[in-house]
Amino acid sequence: MLEELASTFPILTCILFLPLVGAVVLWLVEDEDMVRISALTIALVELALSVFVLLRFLPDSAAMQFTEHVAWIPALGVSYHLAADGISVLFVGLTAFLTVLIVIYSWDTVRHQVKLYMMALLALETTTMGVFLSIDLILFFVFWELMLIPSYFLIKLWGGGAERHYAALKYVLYTLLGSVFMLVGIALLDLNYHQWATLHHMDPSYSFDLLELLAVPIPLSQQILIFWLLFLGFAFKAPLFPFHTWLPDALLEGPIGMAVVLAGLKLGTFGFIRFSIPLLPDASKSQTVVTVIMVLGLLAILYGAIMALIQSDFRRLLAFSSISHLGFVVIGLFALNYQGLQGSLLTMINLGFSTAGLFFIAGFLYSRQQSTELRAFGGMAKQTPVLASFFLFIGLASIGLPGTNGFVGEFLILLGTFKANWLYGGIAVTGVIFGAAYFLWYYERAMLGPVGKAVKDSLKDLHPREMIIASALSVMILWIGLYPAPFLRIMNGSVQALVDRVDRGAMPSLESKLQIRVD
Amino acid sequence: MNFSLTMSPSDLLLLLPEIILTAWLCLILIVDFSFPRLPNEQLAYLSIAGLGATLGCLVWFNIGGVTGALFANMFVLDRMALFFKMFIVGSTMLVILASIDYVHRFKFFRGEYYFLIVMSALGMMFMASANDLLSVFVTLEFSTFGFYVLVAYLREDMASNEAGIKFFILGVFAAGLLAYGISLVYGETGQLVFSDMKLTEVTPGLAIGFLLIFGALGFKIGAVPFHSWIPDTYHGSPTPVTAFLSIAPKGAAFAILLRMFFVALATFKPIWVLLLVAASVLSMTYGNIVAIAQKNMKRLLAYSGIAQIGNVLIGLAAGTKMGNDAILFYLLTYFFANLGAFAIIIAVSEAIGSEEIDDYSGLGRRSPFLAFSMLIFLLSLAGVPPLAGFIGKLYIFIAAMKEGLYVLITVGLINIVISMYYYLIVVKKMYISEPHDPSRIRVSGPIKAVLYVCLAGTLIIGIYPQPFTDWVVSATMMFSGLVDVPLTAIPPAVINP
Repeated sequence: MLEELASTFPILTCILFLPLVGAVVLWLVEDEDMVRISALTIALVELALSVFVLLRFLPDSAAMQFTEHVAWIPALGVSYHLAADGISVLFVGLTAFLTVLIVIYSWDTVRHQVKLYMMALLALETTTMGVFLSIDLILFFVFWELMLIPSYFLIKLWGGGAERHYAALKYVLYTLLGSVFMLVGIALLDLNYHQWATLHHMDPSYSFDLLELLAVPIPLSQQILIFWLLFLGFAFKAPLFPFHTWLPDALLEGPIGMAVVLAGLKLGTFGFIRFSIPLLPDASKSQTVVTVIMVLGLLAILYGAIMALIQSDFRRLLAFSSISHLGFVVIGLFALNYQGLQGSLLTMINLGFSTAGLFFIAGFLYSRQQSTELRAFGGMAKQTPVLASFFLFIGLASIGLPGTNGFVGEFLILLGTFKANWLYGGIAVTGVIFGAAYFLWYYERAMLGPVGKAVKDSLKDLHPREMIIASALSVMILWIGLYPAPFLRIMNGSVQALVDRVDRGAMPSLESKLQIRVD
Repeated sequence: MNFSLTMSPSDLLLLLPEIILTAWLCLILIVDFSFPRLPNEQLAYLSIAGLGATLGCLVWFNIGGVTGALFANMFVLDRMALFFKMFIVGSTMLVILASIDYVHRFKFFRGEYYFLIVMSALGMMFMASANDLLSVFVTLEFSTFGFYVLVAYLREDMASNEAGIKFFILGVFAAGLLAYGISLVYGETGQLVFSDMKLTEVTPGLAIGFLLIFGALGFKIGAVPFHSWIPDTYHGSPTPVTAFLSIAPKGAAFAILLRMFFVALATFKPIWVLLLVAASVLSMTYGNIVAIAQKNMKRLLAYSGIAQIGNVLIGLAAGTKMGNDAILFYLLTYFFANLGAFAIIIAVSEAIGSEEIDDYSGLGRRSPFLAFSMLIFLLSLAGVPPLAGFIGKLYIFIAAMKEGLYVLITVGLINIVISMYYYLIVVKKMYISEPHDPSRIRVSGPIKAVLYVCLAGTLIIGIYPQPFTDWVVSATMMFSGLVDVPLTAIPPAVINP
């Protein structure tokens, strides 16, 4: 995990800032159609760059790859340090992929202030990429916070619901509340490093760099404190039960594009696997932490699933189902074994295809009926068979049908959890059943049966742009479902290193210090 | 106490910036009287030229490392004094630039307006160098004197008159506190110069004396519980004066606070830390909570300013060299964001004649540039990365955490969330609400210049802070030998999480 492979060409910086630069360029474009075409071009180039990185990525390696390292604020030990490893590189591809789809989706569904919308969307892509690629904790925090600005405007200006102002503010303030605690945790990590560095005459004497922080031991009591501080930041963003109350509002009131990002990119749980677990392995495996998080995770699974069962609005149902899925991710992470971690990581990626896909479906439904309430539907499958089939397929992936991507991830998580604790595994399995129940029940009422009163005969099936979105997602779902090996190989090295790190604990090891200097 | 009045030319050199500015003050008056028909822009640019020369001289001193002390250590010119002098002169230049459009509202004495502003700046430059209790008193009163007039400059306006009276009465009261405190401290120690006070134990007289001095300085910086003049005075004053009042005197007062706490009182750190923690918590919480209810932009910034000062006090409570670096850095970020925000208030009130937050509705459509600048400044004040304010807050928090002030940090961080709420209310008005009047707002050249400078400052310090951190680190070199007194005297509730 500590080895670094620098790249000669700053490709990560390009990936990071291309959308932002693109957003500035968009500002100069006047014509609305040109704005759409330019935004799509930028998003596609970004996707191409990400795919290039994925292809050039050395699988089965724990090394930090494509690293770029420049001092930023030496007085505080902050550096501009980017890298991709098995944990983050897939998210880079996922972000680029989803952004392309969102641009395509927004082609005609966003009708006012198209330019600003595309600019906000691209700015959001930069900040998300920044969260995934930053190795320096302050840099990470910068992007983490910056995300709020485009999100705030996206929810507020292009949200469909009447309560969107409230939802936007709630989202910003909740996330901010969590992240200020996270900032304290980050600062504590820095100070712990500082103490150690002054004692051992190390240079630099302050650092926020993940790789340098990893080389320094942290006392257990300190680890637990820092763990909970970081936990608050990640839990609010994820959002983990009981910090989730902003999510249904934001997803329901915000535009579909924003919902896809919020529900598809699991930034909060990414934070756990990127920073909490490797930096604080002793705290992560301590009895109290594991128990509390497992219980919260299981509660989230059951609470989310039961709440989803009683929703009549499809987007609200999806919000609760994503809370339930996050419960799975979290219990997989804190099973702290190879299968659990790998399953969680894969599930985070999977949800980017399935949950995000269902939000697109919700968008398709919304643009037909101007609502995602159940009473607007009924027997839709007769009018829109293609839409209904994609709906069913992506939905089945989200509940983890064998052959789809959801199955692989969920299976690994359950395997890992059973290995860690029979009881937790047993409870988690019931969540799978609930998951199937809420989706299938909703599907049956909305798509099958007699045609609903609100469903008009003139209803059109998917048009070509929507077809592109739905089939792109389906291809990915099938690919991961049937042949997950390439994805698992990318993760393998980093996940293995993480497991080793957790088993070994945070004790200092001289050789790990030497390894850092290899770069 | 002996004063040697023989001064060599090299001694005079140390006073060169002040001498230039004094000469220029006379020049401004002479020009104003001799050419009554001179358009007032000319006088403004004349003042800026003089301040520019002063700033140039200060920069030269800073690069050349010119330092020293005069008049038996009453006046010191060290790198910290240079930092604050540049801070003061820089803010004065920008304030004068921002005043050019505003001055036509004054029916009389337009020339004297510039004179008074530059005179206050001169007083504050002396404050930055004040190293003994007498010069603290004299320079503080000297600088406040100009403000007493400036605050009430809109003679026809009741609010301005009210502001003037309030500021004057409370200011005089603070001066009384200061004088009384000084007399007590002098009575106890027999010394006036900070560095000569070899304090070994706290006597009641000394404690009360320093508390009174802290009260007077707290009045200057507007920390709770000495803040009561701020909202009305900020609201009533001519807006450029408010901008000036919200920045320059705070910098100057912090120069004195730093000298007082770290030179005279360094050995009593465990005691005064408590005082600062209390003042900081109160200022942040009070400022932010009351700011939420504000309907007027100037009052909003007044309360947010009180909260910002609470943040700066966190750095002071840390009581270390790093804390002092952070204070200087934070003030720098506050300088650009706050001045920029006030410049926008001036521009908007020129166009629509209102300073109510409600009238900022639709500013994003009426003037994208103004709205965008305001967004940047407010986000910087709130501490959103990667703007200057974020780095400033980070610096201060890390310095305080190193000293284990977790309770203070927690309060500070919760306050960030609260402050985000009311800054976002303004953002919402600007970008989401429908404008009452869709006509476009034109921004004049001088205001644009101020905004460009402030935007550049806010963005550059945020994205590439290294030169600025280097600068503040070298500016507080005098504190590098700070005695680290363990915080044993502090009750565990404060230092333990």
